[in-house]
Amino acid sequence: MIDLKNIKKSYFVGDRELPILKGIDLTISRGEFVILMGVSGSGKTTLMNIVGLLDKQTEGGYTFADIDVNALDDENLAEMRNRYIGFVFQQFFLLPYLDAIENVLIPIVYSKKGIRHPREKAKALLAKFGLEHRVHNKPSQLSGGEQQRVAIARALVNDPELILADEPTGALDSKTGGEIMDLFKMLNDEGKTIIVVTHDPKLASYGKRLVRIEDGAISEDITA
Amino acid sequence: MALSQKILQLREFIEEVLRILYYYRGRVIFSFSGVTLGILSICVIVTTIDGANKKAQEIFEALGPDSIMVFGGGERQRAARIRVNTLKVEDAELLGRVEGIYDLMPVYSARNVIMRYKDRNWQTQVVGAPTSYFSSLVWKFQAGTPFTDQDYEKAEAVCVIGAKVHEELFRGEDPLGKAIVVGKLPTRVIGLLEEKGGSTGGPNMDDRVVMPLSTVTSRIVNEKRFLSAVRLKTRRDIDGTIEDIRATLRQSHGLKGNLDDDFTLRSSKDILAFVTVISGSLLLFLGTAAVVALVVSGFVLANLFYLTIQERRKDIGIRRAYGATRKGILLSFLFESVVITLIGGIAGILLSVVLGGTFEKLFDIPMMFSAKVVIFALLFSFLTGLLSGLKPALTASRIEPIEAIRG
Repeated sequence: MIDLKNIKKSYFVGDRELPILKGIDLTISRGEFVILMGVSGSGKTTLMNIVGLLDKQTEGGYTFADIDVNALDDENLAEMRNRYIGFVFQQFFLLPYLDAIENVLIPIVYSKKGIRHPREKAKALLAKFGLEHRVHNKPSQLSGGEQQRVAIARALVNDPELILADEPTGALDSKTGGEIMDLFKMLNDEGKTIIVVTHDPKLASYGKRLVRIEDGAISEDITA
Repeated sequence: MALSQKILQLREFIEEVLRILYYYRGRVIFSFSGVTLGILSICVIVTTIDGANKKAQEIFEALGPDSIMVFGGGERQRAARIRVNTLKVEDAELLGRVEGIYDLMPVYSARNVIMRYKDRNWQTQVVGAPTSYFSSLVWKFQAGTPFTDQDYEKAEAVCVIGAKVHEELFRGEDPLGKAIVVGKLPTRVIGLLEEKGGSTGGPNMDDRVVMPLSTVTSRIVNEKRFLSAVRLKTRRDIDGTIEDIRATLRQSHGLKGNLDDDFTLRSSKDILAFVTVISGSLLLFLGTAAVVALVVSGFVLANLFYLTIQERRKDIGIRRAYGATRKGILLSFLFESVVITLIGGIAGILLSVVLGGTFEKLFDIPMMFSAKVVIFALLFSFLTGLLSGLKPALTASRIEPIEAIRG
């Protein structure tokens, strides 16, 4: 599903080139559960942004779902993200003026898939995550764990194939964080491809595959 | 994708925007109140100009497009308070011989005459006129009849009263056959006129008592030599006739060289010209106010929008991550801005309807609401929203998702 070939990414500070990714080769197939581990500054977030079609590499080839994404423009990339990827972030990023179900429905507004009965679906997803009594609560009325579960429901509502989570447990206590990771495990069992980006070694055990990034390169790639 | 799907998405989209507006309601109210003021001004301008034009058209038609009024006293002389009684009874006869004149109605108005009925007093003008007065002004009767040629010849003490006088003296009582005292003369009320309303900028037409000219000049005031005004109708063109009338009167009054006229000529054209002047000044003053209000509120809106966009960078990032295109972000912010100004515009329209009644009473300016006003107002509020929202929306659409999310 994901095929990265010799991906390089540099930022330029004045005349100086700062290499962040120094040639990444990575293939991820459908149904995998990958933990992308790395310390801060290792380049893992940059890699995630490229994988998530939010950023473009400076060099190298990227094929996503058999599509060469290098050639795509803004509009096509947006459609690809909407169609294939559900994002989960450390800070949840729920919109404060929308209640839980409206937040879950955000991807639907941009969807071209024709999801049937999106409202019912959003409600079912919230119920699945134990939030049936929180459907019409604003984010400010929810706990951190609840907010992250709303965010995961949002990631799922448009039926993406890939869930891309960036430090999903970073803002939660370890018990709640564990619950969220269990949830990802369950979704993986249901067939979703999952990539969790983290610096936290404790999360390694949840995935089926561990990819370690060090100093802009893959230093370890273990499949359990 | 199915149409129902599109509709559903649109509903979600609109619902989101409404929730955003509600969330930022303090700011939104501040933003649209300026638009409301601007649109209110526009509505007042358009309705009042329409109303004034309609009124003018009515007066024009009531007077007849072929009529000319001659008043005693020159325009310049009036300012200096030189005598107003310059129009002689013989002048009316001379004017009757001017080419093209087919109708002539001499009038004598006595101003500030006290009317009495029971214990009530009312001070107003008494118009002395020939029997043709009512038909000539196309003035219908609510009740009773006009005075007759016989009444005129015998200078009978009979009168026809206007709606305003009826209201002040009789308070809804049936006036027919009742005796009122006009000045010192007990007079029988034989007719009640229909309401005409105030003419644009002029006195209230309904505040008058009409009696035979002979009765007024012989029994109310002792004035056998002069008239207040003569109304003429011509078959010829108005301007040509006016020139002949002026020449006739100047000769009759012995005015030579560059001496000012001691009389005033008015035609229906002057009334239309007057309305044009009123409309013009209204357009100028309120139009300026409207433009200023809209421009200022547009700037306020744009600046508040910049602020909002800075606060909502993360929202924009999230939306972009979840599939919103640059164009989508641009459109949603434009839509938001247009919704704000349209709300402001609708509030302005409603306010102008509410205030319209007050304006009418206060300034005696008729207002005419129409679809035109609404379309005008909505168009202007739409444009304000579009123009003031454009630049902030462009800024918003250029925000990169990773920048925004990284925070």
